Amino acid sequence: MNTLEVVTLAAVATCVAAPLAGALALRFLGQRLDPRIASAAAIGLSFAAAVTVAVCWQWGGGRTLTYGSRLAGGDLVIIDGLTALLLPYVATVDMAIVLVAPRRALATTGVWRLLVGASASLAMMSTAHPWALVSLWAATSLSTWLSIRGTLGGRATARTYAVAMVAALVCMAAGTGMLVADPPWLAGSGTLGTAGGWLVAVAVMIRKGIVPFHSWYPALFCGGPLATALVTTMPQVATYTAVRLLVGHADGVAAELVVLSQAALVTAVYGAALAAVQRDARSLLGMLAMSQSAMVMAGLAGTLPTELCGALAIWISSGLSLTGIGLVVWSLESRAGRIRIDTLQGRFADAPMLAAFFLLFGLASLGFPGTLSFVADDLIISGSLDERLPSGLLVIAATVFAGIAVMRGWFHLFGGPVTVDAPQHAILPRERFALTTLVAILFVLGLWPGPFVHALENVAASLLLVRAPHPSVTLPAGNPP
Amino acid sequence: MNATDQTVLHHVVALLVSWELMAPAVTLGCIGVPALIGRPLPERLTTRLVGAGFTTGFLAALATLTMLAQRGFAPEIVHLGTMFSVGHHAATVDLVADGLSIPYVCFTTGLCALVNAFAGKYLHREPGFTRFFILLTLFGTGMNLMVLAGSIDVLFAGWEFIGISSTLLIGFFHERRNAVNAALRAFGTYRICDVGLLTAGVVVHRAVGSGDFEQLFSGVWPDGRCLVPATTALIVSLLLVFAALGKSAQVPFSGWLPRAMEGPTPSSAIFYGALSIHAGAYLLLRCEPLLDAAPLSRWLLVAIGIGTALHAAVVGSVQTDLKSMLAYASMTQAGIILAEIGMGLRVVALVHVISHAILRSLQILRSPSAMHDRHELAAALGGHPGQSRWSLIRLLPDAVVRGLYQVALERGFEESVVQRWIVRPVVAVLEAASAAERRWVGFIGAEPAADVPPRPDRDGGAS
Repeated sequence: MNTLEVVTLAAVATCVAAPLAGALALRFLGQRLDPRIASAAAIGLSFAAAVTVAVCWQWGGGRTLTYGSRLAGGDLVIIDGLTALLLPYVATVDMAIVLVAPRRALATTGVWRLLVGASASLAMMSTAHPWALVSLWAATSLSTWLSIRGTLGGRATARTYAVAMVAALVCMAAGTGMLVADPPWLAGSGTLGTAGGWLVAVAVMIRKGIVPFHSWYPALFCGGPLATALVTTMPQVATYTAVRLLVGHADGVAAELVVLSQAALVTAVYGAALAAVQRDARSLLGMLAMSQSAMVMAGLAGTLPTELCGALAIWISSGLSLTGIGLVVWSLESRAGRIRIDTLQGRFADAPMLAAFFLLFGLASLGFPGTLSFVADDLIISGSLDERLPSGLLVIAATVFAGIAVMRGWFHLFGGPVTVDAPQHAILPRERFALTTLVAILFVLGLWPGPFVHALENVAASLLLVRAPHPSVTLPAGNPP
Repeated sequence: MNATDQTVLHHVVALLVSWELMAPAVTLGCIGVPALIGRPLPERLTTRLVGAGFTTGFLAALATLTMLAQRGFAPEIVHLGTMFSVGHHAATVDLVADGLSIPYVCFTTGLCALVNAFAGKYLHREPGFTRFFILLTLFGTGMNLMVLAGSIDVLFAGWEFIGISSTLLIGFFHERRNAVNAALRAFGTYRICDVGLLTAGVVVHRAVGSGDFEQLFSGVWPDGRCLVPATTALIVSLLLVFAALGKSAQVPFSGWLPRAMEGPTPSSAIFYGALSIHAGAYLLLRCEPLLDAAPLSRWLLVAIGIGTALHAAVVGSVQTDLKSMLAYASMTQAGIILAEIGMGLRVVALVHVISHAILRSLQILRSPSAMHDRHELAAALGGHPGQSRWSLIRLLPDAVVRGLYQVALERGFEESVVQRWIVRPVVAVLEAASAAERRWVGFIGAEPAADVPPRPDRDGGAS
């Protein structure tokens, strides 16, 4: 193991351990620590470590590093392009949440649960071991469930969430067990491994909120703490699991992945369409998040680097922009309570900068030119042209509905006669810093996307080299295994 | 002209065209970034910067026009660069300087510079002063991007800038319900019609492997030749016609235009009297060779154009406020222009666009002082100017006039039909689905009777 590998491994460990250490410190030394400073320090350290991982991976020539046993076809620690991409992304989302969180949210027990959830998500992004993935699914689900349950009026949402997550975990554990019992990479394996693959696919559908298993997803945004909803959904752990357990582009596309991607496309259109008629800001956000995250899954079934790059770009762009919208909504709620959007709320005069940020994040989630999502949409539509034209047309339909939903949300939230009888709430410096940084990332990567897309191309290339981990693969004609 | 001169000329044109595009974009950055970080520039500096951006863009366009005119308007393709590439897909930014784009840029940047000068005074001390100029420069960037686009992808980017800036300017007075509703109506129409342009882009990419106009048609404008098979030309041209209907407010997508006058007068002048309303016409002029190869699309365009012109002329005649009258007058002319394009009268259509835009924007800019103007005219004439005794409508039987009056008062029943048969059913289905979702979530999360009541908020995330 050379120095670079040691540094990389240490950075991964720091990235995962820092939020966990922060959570433990806040749990046991809560009274003596400032929750914001402690959590920001923990996430900040994690972010620095995540950036180190990405830089080391790039310096190392983009070579995949693996550690731990190859039990059941997965490595306990894996550092490849996907990990190098996702660790900084997840840490950025967590950092923004911690910076914008209202003081009341950080002064309570929620903050340490949030850090535990963040740590589990980061750990998941650096493993490919099936049982580690199952355990981390359970950890993130439990952390989220506890947060929802501890919220005023959150028990119904907690129950909905629990029903979905228990079902997902059962499918995931059973599927993984079958994959391990009937290792697909061995000659003679068959039915059990195939069934395992399908069960994992069902688990992914539930965990990702793909139609018809989607109902918990917007409910989490409506009834749960917004920070928990963002930390739970934005990393897209189910998509990551699908990549690690189902993607095997080197031999063609797994049948499960094809079904997943088609259901995801339907979800993308359905979620965006329903978002256009929602009555409160949180359900709008939930439906949009459901739609956008499904788009990522839709792109992952492609076998061309273009489409895969598009899916990865949407992963990042939709995550950052929806986090931004969520944080703006949270900031507004912390000033004036829950916000309905079925009538004009007239919040512009009260919070003009938050209005500007909501609009910028909204545009950045819609494929607006000059933003990263424009690049992502261009890649995913171009990729689908060669293989799946109807997919490209469905992506267009989803984009149109999402556009109407975002602008309706913006106008209803900020337009109309002033209804809030309060002095103008100036945006706080920490809010401005976090939101400006997110906007800058989305627009800089949109205006100068070359280097980022090149990095995504490397990640896509590495995904295309992955061998199929199970036997239910649709082999391309004339290309025997 | 020898090869060296050709190369030098190409580089000079490339530089000028790049500046035409960059001038409003740089201005946008200069006034937008300080506003985002909470330090908006003073009013005077804002208008000067915007004025400088548009004026230098106009001068660059004028210089380009002179150079191109010396060469008989042979098109110059300017390759600005490749934004990114993956595999065989590359997102290139190609611009085209020819007999259509450069006169149009002159006219666009010149008009924007004039409106900037007017708006600097008109919006003095208005709370949204900086916002207006940010949106004006965003619009200017979008217009120049669309006009100079050498590919359908670049054109789409400009098209989107125009759409969003137009929407936000209609809703500029955000505290007014009517303004917000009008903005949403306009955005919804744009978004639905944008499907045409997006899908056309997809079809073009699939047919010729890139979005470059060079692959679709060739030749010097206005004598372009279609390079794709008739079926492809038909599909793409129908989609483009659909896209143009929304921006140019043609039947059945015209309902947003009269309401769009809720925005500030300078933006109404430049968007709905001059530039935005003609974006559809520009799109069709640019892709005219495709229409040549698809007679069905041409005749459809003629029918829609004439139908819209008649509709707007009739409805406009009963309007009781000046801005609505002007909106319908714009719609009438936009319809006639589309009909001209459908009939293949390309140069006539371009001249019509420019002359109509100049006249209409002047009328809209003068509209706030219309009464003052009328009084001055009356004073000069020594009495009211009066109304013309000659009108075509007087030749019609009374029963027909009464029927037309009824139709005009109902705005041709266009909006009620669209609302009743399209918008309401779609919204009803979506709301029913949303209600079903809520019931289902309620059913899953329903609390058994024995459960304890909810605990107080310990997390603080949800209020």
